[in-house]
Amino acid sequence: MNMETEMNLQDRPFDINDYIRLNMMPHFLCPGCGHGIALRALLWAVHELGLDKDRLAVVSGIGCSGRLSAYVDANSFHTTHGRPLAFATGLALARPDLTVIVITGDGDSLAIGGNHLIHACRRNLNMTCLMLNNEIYGMTGGQVSPTTSADRYTTTTPAGNREPVFDACALAAAAGAGFVGREVTLQVTGLKDLIRKAIAHDGFSFVEVISDCTEIYGRKNDLGASPEMMLGQKAVMRPDTYRSTVDVPFRPNALKTGVLQQTDRPEYGSSYRAMVAARQRDSGEDR
Amino acid sequence: MTSRRLNLQGNQACALGAIAAGCRFFAGYPITPSSEIAETMSGELPRVGGTFVQMEDEIASMAAVIGASMGGVKAMTATSGPGFSLKQENLGYACGAEIPCVVVNVMRGGPSTGMPTRPAQGDIMQARWGTHGDHTVIVLAPASVAETYSETIRAFDLSERLRVPVVLLLDEVIGHLVETVELGTTATAATRKFATGPREEFQPYAVTEDLVPPMPRPGDGYRAHTTGLTHAPDGFPTQKPDEVRAAIGRLSDKLVLHRELIESWHSQAADDAEVMIVAIGITARAAQKAVDDLRAQGVRAGLFRPVTLWPFPEQALRDVVAKSGARAVIVPEMNQGQLVLEVERLLGRDLKVTGLNRFDGEPLSPADIAARVREELAP
Amino acid sequence: MSSRTSGPTNVLIVGVGGQGVIMVSKVLAQLCQNQGHQVKQSEVHGMAKRGGGVFSHVRFGAQVWSPTIPEGEADILVALEWAEGLRWINFMKPDSGIFIADCQRIVPPFACRDRGRGAEPAYAPQTPEEIMEQVSTGYAMDATGMAERLGNARAANTVLLGALSTALDFAPEAWLEVIEAFVPPRTVEINRNAFLEGRAWAMAGSKRVDETASGLHRHREVARHGPVNTVVEIIDEWCKGCDICVKMCPERCLRLDGRLVAELALPDLCTGCRMCELLCPDFAIRITNTAVTDAVTEAAQ
Repeated sequence: MNMETEMNLQDRPFDINDYIRLNMMPHFLCPGCGHGIALRALLWAVHELGLDKDRLAVVSGIGCSGRLSAYVDANSFHTTHGRPLAFATGLALARPDLTVIVITGDGDSLAIGGNHLIHACRRNLNMTCLMLNNEIYGMTGGQVSPTTSADRYTTTTPAGNREPVFDACALAAAAGAGFVGREVTLQVTGLKDLIRKAIAHDGFSFVEVISDCTEIYGRKNDLGASPEMMLGQKAVMRPDTYRSTVDVPFRPNALKTGVLQQTDRPEYGSSYRAMVAARQRDSGEDR
Repeated sequence: MTSRRLNLQGNQACALGAIAAGCRFFAGYPITPSSEIAETMSGELPRVGGTFVQMEDEIASMAAVIGASMGGVKAMTATSGPGFSLKQENLGYACGAEIPCVVVNVMRGGPSTGMPTRPAQGDIMQARWGTHGDHTVIVLAPASVAETYSETIRAFDLSERLRVPVVLLLDEVIGHLVETVELGTTATAATRKFATGPREEFQPYAVTEDLVPPMPRPGDGYRAHTTGLTHAPDGFPTQKPDEVRAAIGRLSDKLVLHRELIESWHSQAADDAEVMIVAIGITARAAQKAVDDLRAQGVRAGLFRPVTLWPFPEQALRDVVAKSGARAVIVPEMNQGQLVLEVERLLGRDLKVTGLNRFDGEPLSPADIAARVREELAP
Repeated sequence: MSSRTSGPTNVLIVGVGGQGVIMVSKVLAQLCQNQGHQVKQSEVHGMAKRGGGVFSHVRFGAQVWSPTIPEGEADILVALEWAEGLRWINFMKPDSGIFIADCQRIVPPFACRDRGRGAEPAYAPQTPEEIMEQVSTGYAMDATGMAERLGNARAANTVLLGALSTALDFAPEAWLEVIEAFVPPRTVEINRNAFLEGRAWAMAGSKRVDETASGLHRHREVARHGPVNTVVEIIDEWCKGCDICVKMCPERCLRLDGRLVAELALPDLCTGCRMCELLCPDFAIRITNTAVTDAVTEAAQ
């Protein structure tokens, strides 16, 4: 791609081919995997925000979600299992000029990386964490995850899952994340808008994307093909704009979508850098 | 600026060496007996515009250091036994993805929580083999506070030049020892080669003449991919046998090619030594005294002290021992026998190599070592 | 209207949800009752909340038996929305019915069933002039515009009440008394003015079309797409046949071919909505919508 076309990227309508590594396509995700839709929403938001690809860093962990960074035409880092937030913390602190986006999964961020998630929320360092929740460890063959719904069959819950699930957004909000949101992949435009707000937010932004794993999870649980799974996900979500409308009593288990929390807690990086600047002034005076 | 004479603790010297080497990012987690390094860095880094962060755990601090280094900033973390174990997976990532970084391990008694405030040298093999899979790593083992300062600078220099993680292996005694140090202000560390030139043909893991590919820095326009998966020169995962062989092979070939730059060792009274002592760290300090005492009594003892512990200065040891004509080699160490395995591997076919081990939380004394040498020479 | 002696007077009030059809009918019913008439009123507003049609029958006279107005028996038709007025026009007395309508267009969703870019909505195409030719007395007003200029577009129904007042033998003060009792206290002044303005406008003639009304044409000013040429590109090598585009296409114009690769089976139905493109997890579909430019205009440029 030559320089001229790149410079005009923001002026053109969004074309995902401007933001993916074409030599890596087609990607390795299974047919109907919602992660692809989530990736589109992310790149669409990046386009609308007019972010410079050269200053965009995409950090991912391990699992199906972890592979996505390789397809983004940006500075991409495919790190270790559960740790992308920790890598990203170092990167974002060392390079505040970069826009840091973390792509992680339910197992990556809530199980093995749970500690990093809560502390990233608490620290409120400017970055956006996109958590693709497909309720399963897909890459390893479909084991139960911290978000696998009750009674669902997985390769490690042959009699159905007995463990309760994490509400990732409630967790992130309680831990202090500056921005928390959730959306289903079917609402791709809304998802794009949500991610856009999350990236624009100054602080730690956590976005849970309700994705679908058709091939492994859906099939084992008779959830239908991707279109059915996507529609099913939407059916149990309740956009935050509904507030407390009449359907609440009838759908007590519905998860809220949209922006679930946005606070003006101080962003950690800038407050640390202010301290550094003060220390440097002080040591200058000492001499 | 002139050099400064300071009374410094080993851990502080390590922190100041890092600053002098251009380290501008430190992530750590509190652990005895290395915490002073983090404490010193938390105060010193802001003065030079750097960033200190205390992460939520040892794993995260290793990851954050790699993250900062991927951003193009010289970075370090420090820990001790249990933390070093936790860092191993990400240390392997730095090996595989060739991310420069310095990891300080101030060794304490083990296994497990062991004896946090007592010295040991039980991580010699872990420092070399701690992370899974074939990998290469550089390990430096200074034996004084002054050397801790200079070796920390050298650790950054090697890490940056060769794109390899460097482990600085201290022991609790060196870490907490306070000595008068002359801080040279001339010592500096290199900065890694960043990628330059045309972006179109850029390959982040291209095979260059020096086997060290220039590193793409975010923001410079290369938009490269970095992964812990085995990757081809283009940075993307591969499982093609020839590409895999080339990729893994280059990691070790790189260190072989730059062996002269990496290896560092000292010898003392080695030329005519009948018995050669091989030791590192605080044990080598004791051995130095033992050699002095023995020589004063006419006993021909010598010392070979690897400063670069891994890759082990094989040829240097062979040469020094061959030249001396020593008939026995003693390897004193504060463990049940780790360094001795490497020395046996190198010399054991021709010479008698034995260990002198202490693993009770107390350092080996010069008298312990001298006695063992005499025992060896006894008819 | 004073000549009317036998049978009830029938007023049909129609509109869409939220416009105030019920308010108009309640004002009228209350007024008639105040004036000593027997009144029957019935209304239907089932889908009103979703923008659906609302109508209300008001019958008054010495004796009223049935609450509903038979087709062709309405003396007066008051339409708060243009197309709703046309929908009920056959309920008017063919020769003597009075037609009072706001030209405001509220295009209902079903009028957009042709979702093709640039497609004309299936909204009633008749112009006010055409309708005026069919009725003996008629007022095609810009009630919304008038109310807007008075400070509150919601008073459009009161403007129409003003026009309605010219067709019935009740004193303006009697009307205003009832209106003021019905509207929120804060809006009494605006509603009074709205009533008087509507009344004055209708007094000026027995057949009037608001010349300056942006009313009927208001929605035409909204940016509209010209005809659009949609190109659907499907990258066979990237498609994994997940079926999402096929199932999610609102027009059902895609299908999987024998190789389980998506193909555009019914291109004529494609509206270029891009749903398939946006939901394709494999980025295998690309939609390009290009405006079809008028060759003559282009040549002139």
